[in-house]
Amino acid sequence: MTGTGLIGRVRDAGAGVGPVGRQSPGWQVVAEQECRDLWWSGRGPGLVFAFSVVLSVMTYLAGTGQVLNFLEQREAVNLTLQVAVAVGVLVTLVVSADAISGERERGTLESLLLTPVSRRAIVVGKLAAALSLWLATFVVSVPYLWVLGRGVSLVGAALLLGLLVGTLLAVALALLGLLISAVGSSNKVSLAVSLFVLLALFAPTQLPGGTPKGWFGDLLVRLNPVDASLHYLAAVLVTGHTWTRDLSLLLSPLVTAVLAGGVLVAAGHRIVRLHGGVSGE
Amino acid sequence: MKTAFAFAGLLLALTASLGLAVPAAAAPPPLPGAVEVVLDQDRLSTVVGERLTVESRVVNSGDAPTDRLVAHLNVASLDGVYVDLEDWSADVTREMAAVPAGGSRSLSWEFQAVNTGSFDLYVVLMPNGASTAGSGPLVVSRPVHVTVAGKRTLTAAGSLPVAIVVPVLLGLVAAAARYRLRRTG
Repeated sequence: MTGTGLIGRVRDAGAGVGPVGRQSPGWQVVAEQECRDLWWSGRGPGLVFAFSVVLSVMTYLAGTGQVLNFLEQREAVNLTLQVAVAVGVLVTLVVSADAISGERERGTLESLLLTPVSRRAIVVGKLAAALSLWLATFVVSVPYLWVLGRGVSLVGAALLLGLLVGTLLAVALALLGLLISAVGSSNKVSLAVSLFVLLALFAPTQLPGGTPKGWFGDLLVRLNPVDASLHYLAAVLVTGHTWTRDLSLLLSPLVTAVLAGGVLVAAGHRIVRLHGGVSGE
Repeated sequence: MKTAFAFAGLLLALTASLGLAVPAAAAPPPLPGAVEVVLDQDRLSTVVGERLTVESRVVNSGDAPTDRLVAHLNVASLDGVYVDLEDWSADVTREMAAVPAGGSRSLSWEFQAVNTGSFDLYVVLMPNGASTAGSGPLVVSRPVHVTVAGKRTLTAAGSLPVAIVVPVLLGLVAAAARYRLRRTG
């Protein structure tokens, strides 16, 4: 974000003469500016383009698999939805992991902190901008899910489920990314830690499904927000469970969001700050 | 003295014959005849790829508890199609605790119909106690007759237009954004 641009916009908003109007809260101004930077700078469209290439390959492979009858259509929809959620969440995490430590390293955080916007509003604005990327990836995944699921009347359920579960997971991991970004000593560290966390959370989802895991394995699945969310999607879409039967699986992404968000809200003024020894340019 | 030796020899012979007879008397008890396994369905029709669930109930209507048991799900083709059981279900063998006299236990079997054709699906119970493992008789359920029809699946060609058009459009948007950014500096 360009801190100087934001200063003017926040002051205008405070005076009630800005394009966002008198009623615009600070977080909305931050979110608007962040979204502009994300989407007009070319980073957002580039990430969404890369996302669509991944989904295209997945959809083509799923279609080929169905021709050979190795992949049932429900599983093809589930697989594509899981990839859409996982990659969508990945890019959201990457953007949020850069949000504070990136500003700090580019030397724009100081200007941002000088604006009459609370630290909490800065965090909420950056979270909203990161979530705009998740929503964009979700919109891109709609035609893929439609083409795979239209034969089994699964499109509506898959889209609604993907939107709800994916948004919950995206909020949880975006908040985690923001927290890591706020406490990280450098942008490299926060990006590396965030990616490591995501890979560590994503790796268990690649274990062969259907194998009995015992109570400890089940506990690990439930503790892992990514694994638990993807299990929930599969339980509803493939196994045909009702939406309420496995709701407990969504506890871990909910708890992650509450914990990470709680820390950011409670300690935002202490952790969203400049670090000594970090030069601007 | 001779009489004492003869008496001791007679006792030894009797004991030995009794000792030899013991294993025959302690042969592993088979599953009580009153044990049966009942499936909740007789007939199923589905299409290939669908996931189905069959509930089984092990009922011990006898007056003695069973030993520990192993329940095994099996699928047999009735029209010569090769059945790879692993493809149908990853969980076909379950250990069961003893079923008390007059009691019952339920097991749920989830499977996926991966071949088209006509199949019989059944559950077999085997004793698994320390002394009964490997002995019979086995208890077999009535079969569930499963008819699996083929279906028209999505072709790769059907998904190809979306797989090509969406990235091309988004690539153009991304390129335009980058071009505009370069021009405005």
